[in-house]
Amino acid sequence: MTVAIECRQLAKNFRTYLKKPGFWGSLRSFAKREYRINPAVSSFDLVLQKGEFVGLLGPNGAGKTTLIKMLTGIIMPSGGEARVLGYEPFRRHRSFRKRIALVMGQKSQLWWDIPAMDSLLLLQKYYEVQEAPFRRRVSELSELLGVRDQLEVHVRKLSLGERMKMELMACLLHEPDVIFLDEPTIGLDLVAQENIRTFLARYQQRRGTTIVLTSHYMADVEALCERIVLILEGRKRFDGSKSEFEGLLGKEKFVTFRFKEPPDQSNALWSSLDAHWQEGGTKVELRIAEEELRSATIEILTRFPVVDFQTEKLPVERVMGTLLHRPELLPEG
Amino acid sequence: MRILHYLRVYREFVNTSFSEAMTYRLHFMLLILMDLAFYAATLGSVSFIYDQVETIGLWKREEFLFFVSFVLAIDHLHMTFVSPNFWQFSFDLRTGKLDFVLLRPIGAIFSIFFRTVRPASLVNIVVPWGCMIHYGMEAGLPSWGWVALPALVLAGLCLYVSLEILLSMSMFWFVESMGINFVRIQFQRIARWPDFVYGYYGRKLFTFVFPVLLVGSAPVRFLFDPTDYWPLVGLAAAVGATWLLTGVFFRLGLRAYESASS
Amino acid sequence: MLRRLRTEGAKWKQTLEISWSNLMAYKMNFLLLIVGPTIVFFFVKYNVWTSIYAMDGVDDIRGYNLERMLGYQVWVMIVGFLAQGYMGTRLAEDIRLGRISSYLLYPFEFWKFHTAKFLAFQVLEILVAAVTLGATLLLGLVKLPEWEMLAAGALFSLLVGFFWFAVSYAIGLAAFWLEETWVLRVLFMTVSNFLSGAVLPLEIFPRWIRTLLDYTPFPYVTFVPVKIFMGQATGSLWAASANVLLWTLLAGLLAGAIWKRGITLYTAAGM
Repeated sequence: MTVAIECRQLAKNFRTYLKKPGFWGSLRSFAKREYRINPAVSSFDLVLQKGEFVGLLGPNGAGKTTLIKMLTGIIMPSGGEARVLGYEPFRRHRSFRKRIALVMGQKSQLWWDIPAMDSLLLLQKYYEVQEAPFRRRVSELSELLGVRDQLEVHVRKLSLGERMKMELMACLLHEPDVIFLDEPTIGLDLVAQENIRTFLARYQQRRGTTIVLTSHYMADVEALCERIVLILEGRKRFDGSKSEFEGLLGKEKFVTFRFKEPPDQSNALWSSLDAHWQEGGTKVELRIAEEELRSATIEILTRFPVVDFQTEKLPVERVMGTLLHRPELLPEG
Repeated sequence: MRILHYLRVYREFVNTSFSEAMTYRLHFMLLILMDLAFYAATLGSVSFIYDQVETIGLWKREEFLFFVSFVLAIDHLHMTFVSPNFWQFSFDLRTGKLDFVLLRPIGAIFSIFFRTVRPASLVNIVVPWGCMIHYGMEAGLPSWGWVALPALVLAGLCLYVSLEILLSMSMFWFVESMGINFVRIQFQRIARWPDFVYGYYGRKLFTFVFPVLLVGSAPVRFLFDPTDYWPLVGLAAAVGATWLLTGVFFRLGLRAYESASS
Repeated sequence: MLRRLRTEGAKWKQTLEISWSNLMAYKMNFLLLIVGPTIVFFFVKYNVWTSIYAMDGVDDIRGYNLERMLGYQVWVMIVGFLAQGYMGTRLAEDIRLGRISSYLLYPFEFWKFHTAKFLAFQVLEILVAAVTLGATLLLGLVKLPEWEMLAAGALFSLLVGFFWFAVSYAIGLAAFWLEETWVLRVLFMTVSNFLSGAVLPLEIFPRWIRTLLDYTPFPYVTFVPVKIFMGQATGSLWAASANVLLWTLLAGLLAGAIWKRGITLYTAAGM
């Protein structure tokens, strides 16, 4: 395996200024400004191998996008070093730019007032993609994404989901080696999210592209990423496999049972499983150690009038939710 | 090879601009009207002044109006091929859309300032060139002058655009860059008058420091008197110097670019 | 009743303050907007007229000697600040980017918001005009008019400012149909700059153009207020003011009609 992305002690500071409200505050800030330095990313170390699919997690303003902008060469780091595919991103070497791609859910790279196909043709010329492979890729990708009939529609007339698919196509035309996806599913409905996820998983499997993904939807991360990097207040706080991340707060599984009528809550079984009773005692949430999951479930199913039960779908989401409230639970890194 | 790549991209710039322009028909018509009003006002002002006086500085009516048409011809090409991009640049900087320009494997300055063409303005080409030919004949332009005319218009355009690109580099530091575009337009106004109307300091400032006066005056003075070629040499030198400075400031600008967050 | 007035007043006040803070936040930008006309005056107009009058035999053009011509141009600059400063660029952007939806929900109408912004801008423009007048007086470029004329000119210019605002507002509302409204704005500014006498005093224009102009609002935009400041206004000031008011009313009604049609379009399309 070879290294695709590597950064050492990478940092970025932004400068903002403060202003008091009102007319006088405005006049005062006109004359004299008070500045404040905000570290957006600080001493960030990261090594990614080729072909990895990594989820970059963190709350709003944690520095995910800033990190990605540094890795794509859009903004210059304030300190530290970064290498992507062996290039120093901020030098913006031409062959570097030909091998990466960036999709931002919040910003469109397509031209608003013309059909997507016109934008794609322009990108073809930018990236010097030959005619035959270009045609082939457009037809393949539009087929896979189900937007073949929308290619000639003006971009501003597309739905958000369709537009996002076009954005993905636009970034894949030149078959980049590294793709950065910054919240590609933001604002999409569940079906559209699912479509994009399926597409990305298939695409990555087939081509072995290195992909860095940020998202606030843990379903994206759950479905796509093997590795998770957590960033809080500009610092890396976790870096490991998805299962390690899920096990960060203990190896237990979370299971919910629903009963026809409230069972006896004083049973010793419940207290050993950290029971949380809800809905007047007809629903219970349990935390069960992984190795006891089978036996405990069988026991409950046979002894109580269970109508429904489920194990949690998104352990990543629970861990993430807990960590955002209580970052002190993280091992100091 | 590199040039071919740029040409292919440029052809696509033109195609997409046409495609865009055809979408908004009313906008298209209004643009034509706007340019025509501007030409009428500019030529009208000078013409009305000449109703009252015989000469301004060294020139009689037809010479002065030839100069004005010459500058309008430059302005016309500028309106058609570059002008929309300056506004777009300030918008892209403010909204962070510049990100995508920076990602492309092609010169960023090229795709910032030559991205959009304005087909509506192209239609108006007859007005400034028609006036230029009309007043050129009245002013008795020699035959070699007619041959050199297109090249001289392009030379003026080249300096004009270079200076404006250099000026626009400052937008990296001024977030709301409408003001810079405003200043740009004031410089256009200064360039629209021949250099001899300016006082000593004004003329020196806008010939040697920020040489907007060379744009029109250097080529036209040369056309009227070929021994007066020094300003033309100055024009070429100014283009070179402007590009060097643009390179420096562009690099500095990218360092300062913070990419507005989404 | 009083309560309602007070809450309404508070809304206006807050909007004014926000507008000031916006204007000041981009200080370079604000300065450049002022610097622009000043550069044009000192570099272009001053030089061009000086060199025209430098010719032998030219010392009077239609009643203007050099001093008067320069005085005229200084007043054009000051009237420009007072009456034609507002550009309404944000208006069209609000509509295009769909920000208008929030104004449809606020208990403070869209036109009120933009009128407040205009008023905030005018306050700053009055300061700018005063400073410019002070500076040009010190340089000896203009003579201080009698105070009645100064007051009359300033009030008249501010009145024209309302007309200018009403037109800018109507143009901005064209964004309901047009993808870009700056073309209309520039078109209007080019035409009015030329026909209002901001480039050349209207006396220099051919007779037939002047006759036509009497049926348009253009002379009131620059020429008339400048003449008031210079103490050379002919005709009744009241009649002129009534004329401006009438044109303002017309522009306002036009804007109202455009808004009505536009908003049905907007809500129907659910942009």
